[in-house]
Amino acid sequence: MNTDEAVDVDTDTDKPWVVIVWNDPINLMSYVTFVLQKLFGYSKEKATQLMLDVHHKGRAVVSNGSRERAELDVYRLHEHGLWATMQRDDT
Amino acid sequence: MRRRNSGPFLRQRDGSYGLNMALDVRELLVHMFGELRDVLTQGESDDPMLRRLFPAAYHQDPELDTEYHGLMRGELVASRLAAISRAVEVIETDATLSPDDMVLFMQTLNSLRLLLGTLLDVDEDDDAPRGSDDPDDETAAQHHLYAYLGWLLEGAVAAFQLPGGNRAEP
Repeated sequence: MNTDEAVDVDTDTDKPWVVIVWNDPINLMSYVTFVLQKLFGYSKEKATQLMLDVHHKGRAVVSNGSRERAELDVYRLHEHGLWATMQRDDT
Repeated sequence: MRRRNSGPFLRQRDGSYGLNMALDVRELLVHMFGELRDVLTQGESDDPMLRRLFPAAYHQDPELDTEYHGLMRGELVASRLAAISRAVEVIETDATLSPDDMVLFMQTLNSLRLLLGTLLDVDEDDDAPRGSDDPDDETAAQHHLYAYLGWLLEGAVAAFQLPGGNRAEP
């Protein structure tokens, strides 16, 4: 667990890119939740909250990290049919 | 004989999955998966029908997006074709689905919905078939099919069990 925390801290100091999932009228809510759980290992509750953010707010940031990592995440989301893009983290 | 579980995908005791679909449904899916394969292999890359299957990655930077798609589009097409092939193989051989097969099957069902949903220009309220009472509505059958594919995908998600020990929330 300590190792995981250390990795998270390292990641937190280097977040130039964010991956965004956008709302679309086709993807099922249950499927979006499933994909977020599967790809990112999120709990059902976390994935459901992100899905609801996408549904109600139009978008949600689902991951962040290096450009290479963000490209991989976007690719895997596209592979599963989600509408995902990436951009520099301006926050 | 009446089946106890009426869902389209059944989880087995050993963690694999089985298809619980009538022959006509299997034939329909093989046909539709073939059409999806044709669109992926023969469609023009700028076909608006394909925009949801290959969305922009860099929505703020067209130049980077062109570069990204130049590198990744072929890989995404290959991944989709491999998923289709496995889904067809599972249906035609009545094979048991591993968890990985289930994901490929779900991806393929979802790709079909993206294609059909784009064709029909569906909106958020299109969960139920639309225009089904109008005999002149040529898209009624496609709306029914779209809704049915959604039901199949819901069934797959409901049957699928993610591996235990999910990473804790970041």
